[in-house]
Order: sequence, then C-alpha cells, then structure tokens
Amino acid sequence: MTTEELNNLEVKKIVDARGTACPGPLLAAKKAISEIAAGDIMEILSADEGTRKDIPKWATKKGHDYLGTVEESGFFKIFMKKG
Amino acid sequence: MAEKMCIGLFSGSIDRLTAAGVIISGAAADDMDVEVYVLLQGARAFVKGNENKIDSLSENSHLKEEFMAALDKLNVSTWLEFFKMAKEMTNVKVNICSLAGKLWGADKMEDYIDIVDDIIGIGEYIDAAKDADVHFFI
Repeated sequence: MTTEELNNLEVKKIVDARGTACPGPLLAAKKAISEIAAGDIMEILSADEGTRKDIPKWATKKGHDYLGTVEESGFFKIFMKKG
Repeated sequence: MAEKMCIGLFSGSIDRLTAAGVIISGAAADDMDVEVYVLLQGARAFVKGNENKIDSLSENSHLKEEFMAALDKLNVSTWLEFFKMAKEMTNVKVNICSLAGKLWGADKMEDYIDIVDDIIGIGEYIDAAKDADVHFFI
C-alpha cells in the first residue's frame, strides 16, 4: 500500500504508544487488538525503533494483515488489519 | 499447543529483573506459556515486603543513578509491573526454589508476594527446562 492509501484507511482504533519504549508498544498493540473485530483496522503510533520490526512480525505470526508503516517526524504509524 | 518458555531467574538485581520482565512480556505478546524458576539471589525480590526495595545493579553499579533516571525517562515499567502485565496476558507461572526462599527467611506461600504460584524443588525446574522450546538463565 502507498503512504497515501495507508493514510486514507478507515481506522477503527488508534493506539498511541509513543510514550513507551520496547516492549510497551507491542504490549499495547496486543491488548488493543482484542478490543476490535476481525476485519477492523488498527493503527499503532510508536517512536521505538525495535517496535517497527516487532509489530509487523507479531501481526503476521498471529494471523493479522500487516498493511504498512508510515514515517512521520519522530515517530511512525504501523497499520494492521485484524485477522 | 502453546510454545513454552522456561526461565531460570537466579538474579535479584534491578537490571536483570527488568530484563526478565521484558523477556516475559515479549513471550506474553506471543501467547507463549512461561514458567519462571526463581533461584538463589532472585528469591529475595519475591518475598513480601522486599518487592519495592530491590535497588542493586548487576553491572555498572557506579552508574546506577543515570540508569534509573533513564528507565524513568523512557517510561519503562518496573520489573514487578512487567511480571504482572505478562501474567494478565498469558499463562505465566512463578515458582520459587524452596532453598532460595529459605535463604531470605521465606518458607511458605504466604511469605511471598501474590504473583508467586508455587514453591518447588530443583527437579521441577530441570523437567521444565527439558520440555521448553526456549530456555533462559538470567
């Protein structure tokens, strides 16, 4: 997906984990995914470099669709669709 | 069946306990079953009244102030918070070696904080280590 497509997704839940370091964002994502339905899209905001790789890997392993990551200044947005 | 992680937690210093907490949390995010076996030095942290008094570093003890300030600034959970969070998320069992507990004046379940599940002998740790998909000694 292009950055524009990602930015235009209809996001069901935004998890702002910019205030925590690894493993905070991963734990926040894990907690939040249980609060949305299959097919819903979740966006995780993180400023932690380790998380940038961890969350897509975790999402795929758990049967969700990793849609892409958008870089912002000082943080990034990770998009995934619940499987 | 869930994958299994086994941890031999020998250390009772704040940095190593925090590392154990981070690792357990990662396993929890991955829905693994975790069995923690708390050995000699580690047991002190799990005795009631001690959990918030853990203040030694295993390395770079001369940099303790900076280390603690950095953890705080990065908003890193305490070792105990990590353990509690992981227990809420997955099947985490905290087992204390009976000898280790005695070293720190604890003998029965009521002597330990509530995240402790059992007091065990060394044989159980060895069996768990044999069965685990991944085993850490911290």
